[in-house]
Amino acid sequence: MQIKGVLETSFVDWDGKIVSTIFLPSCNFRCGFCHNHKLVLSPESFEDVPLDYLLRFWRRNRDFLDGVCITGGEPTLHKDLPQLCATIKELGLEVKLDTNGSQPEMLRSLIKEKLVDYIAMDVKAPLRAKDYSRVAGVDINGELRRIEESIDIIITSRIDHEFRTTVIKGVHGEDEVEAIARSLQGAKRYVLQKFVPHLAMSEELRRLEMFTDEEMDALVEAARRYIPNAKWRGK
Amino acid sequence: MGQNVQMQQDSTDIALFVKVSEGDVITWDKSRIVKSLLRETTIDEATAKLIADRVEKIIRDSGIEFITGPLIREIVNAELIKLKLEEQRKQYTRLGMPIYDVEQLITKQNKENANVPHGPEATNLSLAESIKKQYALLKVFSPDVALAHERGDIHLHDLGFIDRPYCSGNSIEYVKKFGLSLPNALSISKPAKHPEVLVLHLIKFSAALQGVFAGAIGWDAVNLFMAPYFVGKSDEELEQVAQMLVFEFAQQAVARGGQSIFSDLNLYWEVPKHFADVEAIGPEGKYTGNTYEDYLPEAQRFARALIKVYMQGDGMGRPFFFPKPQLHITERLFRTEGYEEFLYEIAQLSSERGNSYYVFDRGETAKISECCRLAFKLDENDLRDAKTPWKMRYSAMQNVTINLPRIAYEAKGNDDLLFEILSQRMQLAADAHVAKRGFITRLLNLGKRGPLGLLAMDKDGEPYYRLHRATFLMGMLGLNELVQYHLGEEMHESNYALRFGLKVIAHMSKESERLSEEYDMRFVLEQTPAESTAYRMAKLDLEHYPSETREVVKGSIERGEVYYTNSTYLNISAPISPIERVKKEGMFHPMIHAGSLTHIWLGEAKPDPEAIAKFVVRTFKHTTNDQIAFSPEFSSCLDCGRVDRGLW
Repeated sequence: MQIKGVLETSFVDWDGKIVSTIFLPSCNFRCGFCHNHKLVLSPESFEDVPLDYLLRFWRRNRDFLDGVCITGGEPTLHKDLPQLCATIKELGLEVKLDTNGSQPEMLRSLIKEKLVDYIAMDVKAPLRAKDYSRVAGVDINGELRRIEESIDIIITSRIDHEFRTTVIKGVHGEDEVEAIARSLQGAKRYVLQKFVPHLAMSEELRRLEMFTDEEMDALVEAARRYIPNAKWRGK
Repeated sequence: MGQNVQMQQDSTDIALFVKVSEGDVITWDKSRIVKSLLRETTIDEATAKLIADRVEKIIRDSGIEFITGPLIREIVNAELIKLKLEEQRKQYTRLGMPIYDVEQLITKQNKENANVPHGPEATNLSLAESIKKQYALLKVFSPDVALAHERGDIHLHDLGFIDRPYCSGNSIEYVKKFGLSLPNALSISKPAKHPEVLVLHLIKFSAALQGVFAGAIGWDAVNLFMAPYFVGKSDEELEQVAQMLVFEFAQQAVARGGQSIFSDLNLYWEVPKHFADVEAIGPEGKYTGNTYEDYLPEAQRFARALIKVYMQGDGMGRPFFFPKPQLHITERLFRTEGYEEFLYEIAQLSSERGNSYYVFDRGETAKISECCRLAFKLDENDLRDAKTPWKMRYSAMQNVTINLPRIAYEAKGNDDLLFEILSQRMQLAADAHVAKRGFITRLLNLGKRGPLGLLAMDKDGEPYYRLHRATFLMGMLGLNELVQYHLGEEMHESNYALRFGLKVIAHMSKESERLSEEYDMRFVLEQTPAESTAYRMAKLDLEHYPSETREVVKGSIERGEVYYTNSTYLNISAPISPIERVKKEGMFHPMIHAGSLTHIWLGEAKPDPEAIAKFVVRTFKHTTNDQIAFSPEFSSCLDCGRVDRGLW
């Protein structure tokens, strides 16, 4: 298992918890808004963080840490993800997984084996091939069914979770947010994340304006029509 | 006698006018030189006359028509040096500033301290400070101590405030019990009947105290001691009082030199054990018949109201820098209902505005925090004082900081020598404290009509300033660079280096105890807060120990922006996880009795308040760290090369 980065202590990656966040390389999507694009496009430019080092850190600091957040890249592309989760759980730490939902089999198996405690899945656009492909930056046509399957697995399992959408001005309006929320009915939480242009992969997106706080409030209102527990995050 | 006649004749020969400092123009009379030399110095009469003759010759030869008193004094000083009368030259010296410097000061913004607004009040303060500093180095301290300061072996803080003690911890009970009755005041207020009036008394008393202290004015258990005034008042009324308190403190930029009062408000969610059974004082300074334990609901409501005010910020929504809210956490907190919600509220304040401090009073210790990291641990006598809380007035009289990296340069890798030099520097610091205590005692002995009349004020059987309780601070700077030069590793780089750092502080702690016993004074270690000292000492070392300093100094030598790491901190730009930072830095804290602090830098994203609250509780439970504060701003750190969040 290659781990390409770590934020040893994070107060922002899992609501209400103090966690370490680790970054796994590579992704099958090419979202223009991605903040970790180097990790997606040129993972070899980062040195590996030795797992031994992390295990020592986690063991030493179990008295402060609630868990570990696994993000990327797309963690579910890695076949040895279950082993990593099991190793973390053996230390008594909880595991949160960030995913794009493209690998429903992996999600099903992680949930079944109780190897994750929280899943945060990105739903990038309304579940229509054209919309989704536009935001994800790849032709999603055949994969949309798999995204829907992941949503279904997460909602019907009893695992704690959130769905989230990074909202971009000119791409996501109230209609889009409402459409996404409609397809997530029954979800425990839905979070809109404010897009931060200057860190984006796409140069075009870097020139965009951010939503204002008031605009974010209005988008959350749209989401609440289907998911009462909706909120937004960001600066 | 003949010489005298000659002198008289010479005087009348010169058609010279002298502008004297009293504001007059008089004719030349060289006997005035003799008189002043005899009055001000230990010179003998014959030598004084010889000098007066020589000075007169110089002036006569120059052919000038007007001369000023200060210039004559300078010529006299030059003659004293020629006669190798160095001691008398010092006694006769004139303190002041070159006209160029005065003009710069009056017309240009103070670059060294951005907190000082530029204006007539501020420049008055700077001019006065400059002269008092010169006075202190010449007259208050021994030449050894003064030289050590000037060389940068040690740093004597607040020399411009030589005639004031450093900082103070105060009790609202004093104001509640005695009203506002300052010595020499034209009008006197009886104890307050209403909470709003109590706030006004408190602010005015703080402003008066700022006039006699150099540093922070701290107020203990503010929400608890004000609580008896809030019985039967609505939340709305409490918020109004909270607003008054915070805004009035924050906006007192009319105090000393146009600066804000360096004020701290210490808050508790629980009733700390040492105040629980204490009889409460209420409106009009009368006992209410209840103990403070009984006022927990009002104290908590007021704490909440204060946090709400801090959350809202000022009229523009900006955070308040003063007064600083400091939440004390004792073991009782966790047994006091509603603590989780309150911690969440104050953690929200940390997350949004970053201005709350968390002070950990573990076990049986009770502490009063003064400024950002200065705290007093209360001993048995103090806990007895808690029964009469208006007596709980504390002060650190002076702070002396030791330049630690320089000791490593001088020791050249030799352990024994390093500890020996460290002990010598602490001896110098102790000498400096003895001198300051002597000077302040002299001023206090001048009584109510003396310069420190406010501190000599006696309303409860002892002066406001309780000299016997004063502490004397021994600060340290650049432990990290001392270790780095001595061992070749910074403290965060190996356990060996960290352990050596601990050994150095343990030595300092032991030395301070030994010196305390020897001098019968309270010497305690403190983490020096002054960033300007970190800069000054690094710059001096770069000059005097260039090759050594270059190996370890932080900042940018090219830009001339160099510094040593503060006190016992780990390298502030090293990528150390906040968890390991509170743990490792916290290992030093139990040895630093005047208080310590760990700053936790958070990323640019808003941290989750619940996670912050958890971090606070875990720091209390799992570390020996004394105090933490969160700094959510990130941008200010990009310059020093801090690692960014995530992998961008």
